[in-house]
Amino acid sequence: MSRITVENVTRRYGGTTAVDAVSLDVADGDFLVLLGPSGCGKSTLLRTIAGLVAPSEGRVLVDDRDVTDVPARGRDLAMVFQSYALYPHLTVARNIGFPLRARRLRRAEVRRRVGEVADALELSALLDRRPRELSGGQRQRVALGRALVRDPGAFLMDEPLSNLDAQLRTATRTEITELHRRLRRTFVYVTHDQVEAMTMATSVAVLNRGRLEQIGPPTEVYDRPASAFVAGFLGSPPMNLLAAEVIHRDGQLHAVAAGVNVPLGIAVPRRSPDDAAGEPARSVLLGIRPEHLRVTSSAAAMTAATDATAAEAAASASGSDGPVTALRGVVRTVENLGSEEIAYCVVGDGEVSVRARRPAGFAVGDAVALAVDPGQTHLFDRESGRRLVWRPDPHPAVPSARVPVAT
Amino acid sequence: MALVIETPAGGLPAGNPSAPGDPGGPVTSERAAGATLAEGALAEAAQAGGDGPDVPGGRSRTMTIVGHVALALLGIVCVFPIYWMYTTSLRRPQDVYKLTVLPWPLSTSSYSQALDQLDLARLMLNTTIVAILTAAGQLLTSLLAAYAFAVWGFPGKRLLYLGFVGTWLVPFQVTMLPNYVLLHQLGLLNSLAGVIVPNVVSALGVLLLRQHLDSFPKELLEAARIDGRGSWTTLWTVVVPNLRAALTALGILLLVNAWNEYFWPAMVLQRGPSVLQLGINGYLNSAEGDNWGPLTAAAGLACLPIFALYLALQRHVINGFVRSGLR
Ligand SMILES: Nc1ncnc2c1ncn2[C@@H]1O[C@H](COP(=O)(O)OP(=O)(O)OP(=O)(O)O)[C@@H](O)[C@H]1O
Ligand SMILES: [Mg+2]
Repeated sequence: MSRITVENVTRRYGGTTAVDAVSLDVADGDFLVLLGPSGCGKSTLLRTIAGLVAPSEGRVLVDDRDVTDVPARGRDLAMVFQSYALYPHLTVARNIGFPLRARRLRRAEVRRRVGEVADALELSALLDRRPRELSGGQRQRVALGRALVRDPGAFLMDEPLSNLDAQLRTATRTEITELHRRLRRTFVYVTHDQVEAMTMATSVAVLNRGRLEQIGPPTEVYDRPASAFVAGFLGSPPMNLLAAEVIHRDGQLHAVAAGVNVPLGIAVPRRSPDDAAGEPARSVLLGIRPEHLRVTSSAAAMTAATDATAAEAAASASGSDGPVTALRGVVRTVENLGSEEIAYCVVGDGEVSVRARRPAGFAVGDAVALAVDPGQTHLFDRESGRRLVWRPDPHPAVPSARVPVAT
Repeated sequence: MALVIETPAGGLPAGNPSAPGDPGGPVTSERAAGATLAEGALAEAAQAGGDGPDVPGGRSRTMTIVGHVALALLGIVCVFPIYWMYTTSLRRPQDVYKLTVLPWPLSTSSYSQALDQLDLARLMLNTTIVAILTAAGQLLTSLLAAYAFAVWGFPGKRLLYLGFVGTWLVPFQVTMLPNYVLLHQLGLLNSLAGVIVPNVVSALGVLLLRQHLDSFPKELLEAARIDGRGSWTTLWTVVVPNLRAALTALGILLLVNAWNEYFWPAMVLQRGPSVLQLGINGYLNSAEGDNWGPLTAAAGLACLPIFALYLALQRHVINGFVRSGLR
C-alpha cells in the first residue's frame, strides 16, 4: 500500500532538463500512466521515484515519508524494465526468487513464494530455463514475476509491453489491468502508447519536454485537454488544431480563419455601440476532434470547389448555407481503417482530419462542408498553448475581460 | 441461380481479398513479398555457381585459399621456435648443434641432467605461488577498480582513470629502483612476497575489465539495486557471474605474464628462494659455456603448465578477448 508524492522534482543532465519541476500525487491503489513523446522525461521521472536517479531538486515521498535520500531497496517499490533486465546467468526460478534471497528469506519460504507466483503467471513449466531460452512474452512474465514476488507497495513499469507483438501486447495489457484490480496496489506505468494509457490508467499524466502538461482521469485528459500539446498528442489522428481569430458576430463568439467560421456557442450580449465596431480579435488555436466533425453537404451540393472560393464562402459566412457549416475544404487523401474512414482535408492553409463511419463516401478532390457542435470545440492560447475558457465578465465596464482567459 | 465464389477480376490475388485493415491483409502481402525475395535469392545462387562466392557476401575461393596459406605460414613462424626448443631438448648431448628437423636418435639425457642440476620441483612450486598470487591479486584489484570506474560517478573520476592508465605507460625501469628501495626498507628482499606485492595492481587489467563493464547492461545493475542488493553484493551476485569469460581470459593473460616474469624476480631474489626463469638462466653463460640441452629441457618443462592451462580454458580466452573488442 503506497501513496507516492512527487514534489517539484527537477532533474538536469548537464544542459538538458530531463524533468522540469514536476509535482504529482499518486493515491494508494491508483494506476497512473506517465504519457508523452520520446525523450520527454518519463523514464527519468519514474527512475527518480524508484530511487535509481537522484533529483536535482525536489522531494519524493512514499506514504508521506521523505525517501529522496533513501536508496532504491529501502523504498518498497518493484520495477519492471523495458528490457526486462533478467539476470542471464540465473534460471527462471532463481530470477524470480532473487529479490527474496537478497532479503535473506529462508530457502523454503523463497521456494514457496516463487512457486505461487510462477503458478499465477503460468511459468511453472519454465522454472529451470535460462532467460535466453525464453520467448519475449515469457521473459516479460518472468520480469513481472520478479516484481510480484516481493509483494511491494507499488509497481513501477517502464514501457513493459513495448517489446511484444501487437496481439501479445493487447493480451498482456488486459492481464496487467486485471492484476491491478486484484492486488489493489499502486501502479506507475510509463508508456508513449496512448491506447495503453486510455485503457489501463485511472489517471494519466501527460509530459512534454520534462514538464507536466496535465494530469487527470483518461476521459478528462481526452475530453478537456489542458493544452494544445495534450490535444495534439491524444487521439489518432489527434485533435485538429487551427490558427484562428475569435471575433463577435451576431451576438455570438466565432472562431474564424480562411475556410473556417465556427460558432462557439457563447452568446455575447451587445452592450455598447462600440461593440459593433468590433472587439479586438483574439488569436487562438481552435481545436476540434476528427470524430466531432460532420459532413453537411456532399460534393454535388457544393457550388465552388477550390480553396480560394471555399475561403471566400466562409468569410461571407452566415449566408445561404446557414450557421451549420463551420469549415469548408477539399479532400486531399482518404485513409480506410476498416470500420472507419479518415479524410484529410485542406481547409484554408491548414489541414483537418475528419473521421466518419464507413462508408462515408469521401473521394479525393471532393469539396466538403463540415459542421461541429459548439460544445465540442476547444480553444487554446496561441502563445502558451494553454486551454482557454469563457468567463462571463462580472464588471461589464472592463471590456478586456470579455475575451477568453487562459486557465 | 446459385451462390458462387467470387473470382477476382485481376487474375492474381494481388489485391487482398480480405477487407483492407483486416489484420490478415498486411500479413498476406508481406508473405508474398518474402516469397519473391527468397525466389530471387535462389535464382541468383543458381546463376553464381562456379568460382563465385559460396556464401552471399563471402569472398571467392581463390581469396580464401590465399588467406589460409598466409595464415598457415604465419602459424609456422610462430610455432617454430617452440618446436625447435623441444627438438633440441630431445637430442643427444653431442647432437645439440645439429640442424636436422627431426631429433634422431632421441635421448632424454638433457632432461635428466636438468632434473639433476636444478631443484625443478621447488622452482616450479615457487613460480606457481608467485604466478597465482600475483595474477589473483591483479584480477581482484582490476575488478574492483574497473567496477568503480564503470558503475559509479565520482568527482575526479576521469583524472584518476587517466592516472591508472598512465602507470601502464611508465616503463618498468623507472619504477624498478624505487620499488627495490622500498622492498629493502620493508625487509622483503629475497622473499617471494617481495616479488608479488609490488605487482598486485595491473593497469592493463583495469583497462580491459572497464571495457567489459562499460558495455555491461546498466539495467541489470539497476534491477539488482531495486531487488535489494547493495553495490558489493551486486558485484558478486550479478556482475562476476556474467563476466566469467572476460575474467578467465584476463586471468590467464595475467598468469602467463607473471609466470614468465624474469627481471623483477632476478632483482629481488638474488639470494634465497628462486623461480623457474632464474633457474633456467643459470645455464646461459655457465662455466662450461652455453648448455643448450638442459636449458631447453628445463624451458620445455616450464612451458608445460601454461600449455595445459591454455588448452583447458582456450574457449574462454578467445571469447574473452573477442568480446572486449581488444585483440
Ligand atoms: N543518463 C543520462 N545522461 C544524459 N542525458 C540523459 C540521461 N538520461 C536521460 N537523459 C536525457 O533526458 C531526456 C529524457 O530522457 P528519458 O529517458 O526520461 O525520456 P523518455 O521519456 O523515457 O523517452 P523514451 O520514450 O524514448 O524512453 C532526454 O533528452 C535524454 O537525452
Ligand atoms: Mg524511456
